[in-house]
Amino acid sequence: MSESEKRNELNRRQFLGNMLKTACGVGLVGLGLGAYSKRASSMPANYIRPPGALPEEDFLGACIRCGLCVRDCPYDILFLGEVGDEVATGTPYFIARTGPCEMCEDIPCVVACPTNALDHELKDIEESRMGLAVVIDQESCIAFHGLRCEVCFNVCPIRGRAISLDMQHNTRSGKHALFIPVVHSDACTGCGLCERACILEEAAIKIFPMHLAKGELGKHYRLGWKEKDKAGESLVTPDTEHRYNLPEGVRYDLQGEGLIIEGEAEETPFSSNPLDTLNSGFMDK
Amino acid sequence: MKLTRRDFIKSNAVAAAATVAGVTLPVTNAVSADADDGIRWDKAACRYCGTGCSVLMGVKDGKVVASQGDPDAPVNKGLNCIKGYFLPKILYGEDRLTKPLLRKTNGKYDKNGKFEAVSWDEAFKTMAEKWVAARKAKGPKGIGMFGSGQWTVWEGYAASKLLKAGFRSNSLEPNARHCMASAVGAFMRGFGIDEPMGCYDDLEHADVFVLWGANMAEMHPILWSRLTDTRLTKPGCEVHVLSTYEHRCYELADNGMVFEPQTDLAILNYIANYIIQNKAYNKEFIDKHVNFTKTPTDIGYGLRASDPREKAAKNRNKGKLSKISFEEYAKSVEPYTLEHTSKLSKVPKDKLLKLAKVYADPNKKVSSYWTMGFNQHTRGVWVNGLCYNVHLLMGKIAEPGNSPFSLTGQPSACGTAREVGTFTHRLPADLVTKKDAHCKFAEKTWKLPAGTIPRANGKSDDADQSDISGKPMGKTLIHAVAMHRALKDSKMNTFWVMCNNNMQAAANMNDESLPGWRNPDNFITVSDPYPTVSAQAADLILPTAMWIEKEGAYGNAERRTQFWREQVAAPGESKSDVWQIMEFAKYVKVEDVWPADLIAKKPEYAGKTLYEVLYTNGQVDKFPAEQVTDSRGNKYDNHESADFGFYVQKGLFEEYRLFNSVKGIPKKGHEMADFDTYHKVRGLRWPVIDGKETLWRFHEGYDPHVAKGEGVKFYGKPDGRANIITAPYEPAAEPPDKEFDLWLCTGRVLEHWHSGSMTRRVPELYRAVPDAVIHMNPKDAKKRKLRNGALAKISSRRGEIVCKVDTKGRNKCPEGLVFVPWFDAGRLVNKLTLDQTDPLSKETDYKKCAVKISRA
Amino acid sequence: MNICSLIVHTKPAAGTLVSERLQAFHGVEVHGGSEEDKLIVSVEDEGESMSPVSDTMNALRDVEGVVNTVLIYHYGGEESME
Repeated sequence: MSESEKRNELNRRQFLGNMLKTACGVGLVGLGLGAYSKRASSMPANYIRPPGALPEEDFLGACIRCGLCVRDCPYDILFLGEVGDEVATGTPYFIARTGPCEMCEDIPCVVACPTNALDHELKDIEESRMGLAVVIDQESCIAFHGLRCEVCFNVCPIRGRAISLDMQHNTRSGKHALFIPVVHSDACTGCGLCERACILEEAAIKIFPMHLAKGELGKHYRLGWKEKDKAGESLVTPDTEHRYNLPEGVRYDLQGEGLIIEGEAEETPFSSNPLDTLNSGFMDK
Repeated sequence: MKLTRRDFIKSNAVAAAATVAGVTLPVTNAVSADADDGIRWDKAACRYCGTGCSVLMGVKDGKVVASQGDPDAPVNKGLNCIKGYFLPKILYGEDRLTKPLLRKTNGKYDKNGKFEAVSWDEAFKTMAEKWVAARKAKGPKGIGMFGSGQWTVWEGYAASKLLKAGFRSNSLEPNARHCMASAVGAFMRGFGIDEPMGCYDDLEHADVFVLWGANMAEMHPILWSRLTDTRLTKPGCEVHVLSTYEHRCYELADNGMVFEPQTDLAILNYIANYIIQNKAYNKEFIDKHVNFTKTPTDIGYGLRASDPREKAAKNRNKGKLSKISFEEYAKSVEPYTLEHTSKLSKVPKDKLLKLAKVYADPNKKVSSYWTMGFNQHTRGVWVNGLCYNVHLLMGKIAEPGNSPFSLTGQPSACGTAREVGTFTHRLPADLVTKKDAHCKFAEKTWKLPAGTIPRANGKSDDADQSDISGKPMGKTLIHAVAMHRALKDSKMNTFWVMCNNNMQAAANMNDESLPGWRNPDNFITVSDPYPTVSAQAADLILPTAMWIEKEGAYGNAERRTQFWREQVAAPGESKSDVWQIMEFAKYVKVEDVWPADLIAKKPEYAGKTLYEVLYTNGQVDKFPAEQVTDSRGNKYDNHESADFGFYVQKGLFEEYRLFNSVKGIPKKGHEMADFDTYHKVRGLRWPVIDGKETLWRFHEGYDPHVAKGEGVKFYGKPDGRANIITAPYEPAAEPPDKEFDLWLCTGRVLEHWHSGSMTRRVPELYRAVPDAVIHMNPKDAKKRKLRNGALAKISSRRGEIVCKVDTKGRNKCPEGLVFVPWFDAGRLVNKLTLDQTDPLSKETDYKKCAVKISRA
Repeated sequence: MNICSLIVHTKPAAGTLVSERLQAFHGVEVHGGSEEDKLIVSVEDEGESMSPVSDTMNALRDVEGVVNTVLIYHYGGEESME
């Protein structure tokens, strides 16, 4: 390959890469090399299996390509893979942006499945894990800039649990708050209602198959504050009360503010609010 | 192909790593620098709510191609809500109206004909014929105009002149009657001057926020983000939220309370009682600045007089205040103990106590916010007043952070409907038609013969005003809900609806609105950019230039007046409301609507058109048409000035200022800067005196109308004192019973604005929230064998609609209450609502009627 | 065909410098992140003559200024799927 050809090729690569940059998800932290190459190449990232689908390999084994789930979906969101698709021919999937799962309480697609490829143990649609919503483009998502959108939060059927709003100070404006959408994998079913509703031209929140979307913490590691919450108390004997050498007028709040210098605000006889002074009415005396 | 696949995989790999690392890769969809070339940026006030965010509109080749929040605007600092994000799209809905449309059969107007395109000339000729006939036959109430808090300031002003001075009729109402009238009533009764004493800066200065029937999180999104920020960053800050169902504000609430509808009256009296029992009140403040009064009770529900509930009312529609002592006031709130109030309201005692304590704590600065929960209330004026009572008892008013604050729902409910006074009883700048002196001042200012403007009681100098109908004028006031009743009863025969969608918005569509509009005796005109539900029910539709297709001005909830220039041309033959009002005036002669004796007082007006008398009077046409140019040399069109030959907006605004900003006016306190100044600033909060804005009114130092040494002065009242007005809890008009066993509350959602005529034409907003749903408690749903997503029939004594049930959505209703938003033209919830009003403010209560729900 | 992506954490403010050093390896591209000191790197083998991906990755760890590397994504399939 000549230098110029190589340059052209690079340009083309960059171009394609740019086009696809937002179209894929979080990778597979900590997995070894080689073992999952099949999975990475199995399906486009925006193809989502119906609720209750077994892990992909088992699913492909169990699914007999009968199409009954597609027939029984009351919202007609399911497609069957066709020859030439990047999904096994005859297997069901949906695309969240155009037709998300409406989360029927009676889960007719699962009921219809004759082989348990869609797991019949799934009785509560809120327990399904079709995929996981990921706020993938924080640069375009207008909530990160302080605009009051929150459409994904508003449409989420697992109200307040699958997507919550993290309220933060907007340092740019100085007096507004940011309402940042945060997805919680313990509640998100991957139904895709949020992706469909996203008001951007290309959704900033997208559903990915769980294996693409979810990082995994090292198996040994626990988040200390969560474990403490779970136990309801410190896992290790609580400290005895701390006492400190401190000058007069100074306290120390261990779990909160730290060092507190008392009376800092009381150095003058005036209230910090000038209106207190203005309203004190000395002229009447 | 090999390379393509390789690249695909690689880009997957790279993006995955970037996502994990939280690193942003170069953006692919960034607008290239070239695309922004040649865009002309200019400021405008947002089209939607009363918050009054400023936006920047980018115009290229006559089209809005880009938009942004205005980073220099003090209200929103560059932010927008989701509706504001899509603002340019409201101009470009595919079904914009472009020609006047008249119902016709065989080439002639026919009430039952099909809409056909006509010329403006034919439209106005047909309309004028109907209007003049109705005015002559039926007197001042034979015609009616229904305008808007979305009108620009000068549109409201031009309409007020056309109706009150031109047609000599007080049948002018804005849709703000449905929205702000109770707030206005309470301001006038309590303080003698309209609009809040505080401003949005209270959002940073309060220690405690209390929301009374205001879902700020969705309805005032940018203000809510300021309130939230204060809650996040200010130590000790608390948020208390009260409503009849849980809405999104409860996500931030430290003390969230759901109360039984109508018992807000009791809760506020309990707080007053708590303050008095604990001697927490500010005695010095009360002694100096407050009068104690009581209002008549058992006043009915604003229904038709024939309704049994009206016949049973002892003091129907009465509101005259009488003075009482502090002790009598204290005794009047004594029954509202914690025990009693908790039982009545179903709010747990500890929560009520916590709420009462923050109001009673002299060291906590409290700001109370309310919107439609208070205003759309059959005791709306009372409940607004009860909130002022609490603030006045503590002296927590008119200073930073201590602010009872009535928020507005429309962009210019304050600036136009209230300040210009487009209500049946009002004239510009807080003047009223019941005062002969006020009318005379307006007549002098408008160069009209004395006695032109109809007095509320039809008498000037104690003599009957003569009328073109040959009969005495009689009582001339008619409020919005009564207008629909008058149309149904054929007492009013022509009706012009501008800049709002009243067929969808007014209560009890089936029994009142629709039969009124389709009454064969009546001729209904609707001016709108889009084919709304109202347009569908009209006889003549006028295509309207909207928002930035005309030069405009809005006044927001914190008294901020904001201007914008005409940014783009309207499609087809569309014209602005002000153009329509003035052009229509050319089709009516003074002799058509004024009696001979009135014309004789000003013989030079004989033979003239209303246009000449009202708009080319040497004042409105004072400023010649000019090329509108901004400080950077950008040029703007102005289609009204081009057509009429003078600077229409400037002339109207400067004449309006003769009511509020010159020496010798009857009511001070509404001073505004001159026209040219507003084009150069991002809004000013009135009163503006010597170029300085006023942040907090009635407070020495902040308000130039309060003299040195006075401290606080409520100068709207002759004695400078505000009124504490005691009023009891009284039940609602239509509580649930055995058959209709649920409360229905209606309202809005963040994504849509009012009737959805604009936002439902933005595909992204429509996709986000396509249809209205019934928010209901899962237990109520289960009892009716309904589950989430099922179709249900919801019906009242007046009608029924079918909606999907939502038991998991943004609003969590208590058992016994359902919430349905009203934006959806496909599911018209106002078929169900009752046309009940506050008997004092005449504002409709959309929050409380009885319904039942079953499977559809 | 092997394609991997990694996050390469660098010493503070060394992102740009390290980025240049990494680009010198065959099959290595840096796609961004030098300002955050978290480089987004792809590694691919470019035909049989080149060193295996795993060797390259081990070598990256020893580059001066690199604190840590995290493997995010690996593709190891046949080349002619189409």
